Amino acid sequence: MGKVKPPVVNRSLWSWILTSNLKLQALLLVVIVIAVFTRVLPLEMQKRIVNEAIRFGELELLFRYCGLYLAAVVLAVSLKYLINVLQNLIGETVLADMRKELYHHILTLPLNFFRKTQPGLVVSSLVTELATAGNFVGMAIAVPVTSVLTLLAFAAFLLWLNPLLAVISLSIYPLVLFLVPMVQRRANLANKERVDVTRTLSGKIGEAITGIHEIHGNGSYRIENRKYDKMVEALRKVRVSWNLYKFGVKVLNNFFNNLSPFLIFIVGGYLAIKGRLDLGALVAFISAQEKLYEPWKELIEFYQVYQDATVRYSRTMEYFDTQPEHTLEPEDREPYELAGSIEVKDLSFVAEGGIQLLDNINLTLKPGEQLALVGFSGSGKSTLAQCIGQLYRYTSGHVLLGGKEVKDLSKKDVIYNTGFVSQTPFTFEGTIRENLLYSCAAVVNGGETLEVEAMPSLDDMIETLQQTGIFVDVLRFGLNTILLYDEHQELAAKLVRVRENFRRDFGEELADYVEFFDEDEYLYHSNVAVNLTFGSANKENYTVEKLPENDYFRQFTDEADLTRPLLTLGADLCRQTVDILGNLPPENVFFEQSPIGPHELEDYKELAKRIAKKRLHQLTSQDQTSLLRLALRFTPGIHKMVRMPSIFEEFILESRALFKEKISEDDPKAITFYQTSEYIYSKTILDNILFGKTKTVNPHAEEKINQSIIQVLIEEDLLETIVEIGMEFQVGSKGDRLSGGQRQKLAIARIFLKAPGVLIMDEATSALDNNSQSRIQGLLDSRWKGKSTLIAVVHRLDIIKGYDKIAVMKAGRIGEIGTYEELMNRKGMLYELIYGKKAAV
Amino acid sequence: MNSSMERRQQSESSEFQQNLEELRQMDFFSALSIEALKVFAYLFTREKFKPGDHLIHQEDNDGKAFYILSGTAVVVRQDERGETNLGEFGEGDFLGGLALLGDMRRLFSVRAHTDLLCLVMTREKFTKAIEQFPELVPRVMETMVKRVRLWEKRLLLEHGGLCDQCRKKVGVSLI
Repeated sequence: MGKVKPPVVNRSLWSWILTSNLKLQALLLVVIVIAVFTRVLPLEMQKRIVNEAIRFGELELLFRYCGLYLAAVVLAVSLKYLINVLQNLIGETVLADMRKELYHHILTLPLNFFRKTQPGLVVSSLVTELATAGNFVGMAIAVPVTSVLTLLAFAAFLLWLNPLLAVISLSIYPLVLFLVPMVQRRANLANKERVDVTRTLSGKIGEAITGIHEIHGNGSYRIENRKYDKMVEALRKVRVSWNLYKFGVKVLNNFFNNLSPFLIFIVGGYLAIKGRLDLGALVAFISAQEKLYEPWKELIEFYQVYQDATVRYSRTMEYFDTQPEHTLEPEDREPYELAGSIEVKDLSFVAEGGIQLLDNINLTLKPGEQLALVGFSGSGKSTLAQCIGQLYRYTSGHVLLGGKEVKDLSKKDVIYNTGFVSQTPFTFEGTIRENLLYSCAAVVNGGETLEVEAMPSLDDMIETLQQTGIFVDVLRFGLNTILLYDEHQELAAKLVRVRENFRRDFGEELADYVEFFDEDEYLYHSNVAVNLTFGSANKENYTVEKLPENDYFRQFTDEADLTRPLLTLGADLCRQTVDILGNLPPENVFFEQSPIGPHELEDYKELAKRIAKKRLHQLTSQDQTSLLRLALRFTPGIHKMVRMPSIFEEFILESRALFKEKISEDDPKAITFYQTSEYIYSKTILDNILFGKTKTVNPHAEEKINQSIIQVLIEEDLLETIVEIGMEFQVGSKGDRLSGGQRQKLAIARIFLKAPGVLIMDEATSALDNNSQSRIQGLLDSRWKGKSTLIAVVHRLDIIKGYDKIAVMKAGRIGEIGTYEELMNRKGMLYELIYGKKAAV
Repeated sequence: MNSSMERRQQSESSEFQQNLEELRQMDFFSALSIEALKVFAYLFTREKFKPGDHLIHQEDNDGKAFYILSGTAVVVRQDERGETNLGEFGEGDFLGGLALLGDMRRLFSVRAHTDLLCLVMTREKFTKAIEQFPELVPRVMETMVKRVRLWEKRLLLEHGGLCDQCRKKVGVSLI
């Protein structure tokens, strides 16, 4: 990287021109000079056409001049396009650079900065406000040079045509140059205010969206709307006046530009009438004079863009003109490898506004020792952990990590030697694997690529997943994956074998929990549609929801004499379900055991009324389709309001064979039949192994099934493969497809994988259930004790017995520190925290 | 194969109707309006347990209540000294009801002793259903109070000569 570069926020707008692509800028200049020439040429041709060709009736000359005129016009247009292309290239490149550098800068700013900066504000700064600045750099050389050169060329041409008229028509420009900046200054003021208001507005939007659950929770739409509307109004006002001043500049400019032909008509007309000016020259002069308008307008527009860009650019850069609290990388040396000792001496931290968050803290930890920080919330325990982890810059005292002052270490030194798990860990969009390797990748190579030898192996990753208890979740993600025919045929073949083994080894044991697919049996835990087709639809119109409208299928049910029994079943389901659920609100919990969905209830209520009055065959075909839909969804294992007549089962079993026969002939690709030897690509791996449906939602039964599947997978040596597939699970934006506990486990896992010398855990297990929490505590006690120094902020006091030292914090001070036994014997603050105030007396 | 045989042998009424019959015989539900009764009969699901299966796991917050239709279950508590057997539930017993009302990390485990068939209700379903029939709330409270009192009364009658240590701890109905 470059030597000492000034931080991006201190760069001037002009400096970007110098660092832009100078070759392109030079090319642009050359193109422009040629372009100016091509603009003047038509004028000369125009004059010659009138004065020489037409006047003397020279046809040959007329054609030649007209030809040249045409060529010049075509060339001028092409060059204009080329100029635009070049400007665009330069401008967008610079804009991209600005955005990158500013973003890189913003990410290094201290956490404090972001306490008062809304994400929306950063977004609007990076996305909107900088755009004009980039635009400006693209124009910065080309436009003023073109315009000035064109102006000069035309001015010279005018002077050459007629000095007197030229001086008259040019006389207006000094006046414009005096007036325009006066108006522009007002526009700038309004613009500055606009940037500020837009910024607050973006912040406000960002805040509202981040806190949307709170708004919904409190129903505070109006409060938020009021706040927002007020800001939008303010923005409207300032934008109106900004735009008015901008238009003012344009109007002023227009007025003076239109004034100058007026002067020419008066003076030139007079001269022509008096015979002191030939007509051709006057026509040429007026044309040339009109052409002054274009470059002049461009120059004024450029001036406005320049002013706008300056305001936006400086306003934006000013806002982010804060320096990082720590250097990012050490200069001229590799990052330190520090021993894990920690020494805190007279440490104080005073936050903005003079609030003393930490007051004279002293403690020492030998490498491998474990410290628990306990105390009420607000006692400063998290702040202390964050100061030690260099997340906050302490205001006085010392924190020595392996003997080095933390304040003076570079960020890289710190991430090499410590791992921090925050209270509300963040999961980034991407796969589990990417998130798992996040901390390691940052250390190893700045995250440029994940495939580096120094990175943890698959075995390491799997071990960590197991330790933190997220293994089963990842395995489940893997099992819930749908394989692709083109990519996974080999694996699919193995999974068919797993299916066979699973059935052989566990079929009997699990018979109470799983209903296996069996071609000769009715499946009570699958719906009627599946029982009929006995396969999985490959085409959309063969899915349960589409079958009732599928003409082929309807024809089949007619032929198989199934339509009437299905309609009867549908009508029965409709009547019974409406009778039970008729008056309940559309909440999911009521509809889990119903064939009617929460939002269909109203329609089926109406339908139930019609059924009561009419015979089934009298119903409209739409009503029949609705009933058929219910019948096809009917799953006796779930929908208990209707009992399925056993004669119906046999009927369906008969039709199953018939349907298979027919569809295999008519549309063999439509359905993959459930056959023990076939992998079903439209279903998940789990469904394929299970090859049946679970009969219960009982978690312990599920656990049993899981264990059995894991065992079979281990036997076939496929467990790691499935977990590897599971690690490709996309966690969603902010990890929203994971539960809070899973996110926290993942955050712990990524630090464990990095295995730093110092572990700092800020209530890192608060979102976990008891078992997971104890598991991780057990791991800290056994695996990490003596290896990594641990500082854990703990709010659950039943897990602190194993720590070497416990520090009880109160109001930013350490109230007492010692081993669990010492503190309990002393019956001081810890005793009080555990047994309550009363017991301590 | 087994299960289909079973099904065919059962009477022609649906499981929902069977549940309805069961609820009518239960103290708490018997007096409900027919509309509420139907909803509860619908929301109760049947679950089978094999000997050794857990209905309730100590330390879990499962939020479930069970009504035993057939079979027996044992209550045990696990602590530092190991497992203590604390009693038995059988046909017609309703257990775990307190967990329907609020968070309840289980202090005991309940395990099926024989093959067991239960009606199961979850806290989520129960609270949502109670919202729909607010007239049930006083009934729920009344039933709970009655059961707590009965519990302690039985304890005092059956174990009148409790050890001195234990006697000091009675009085749960005074909470």
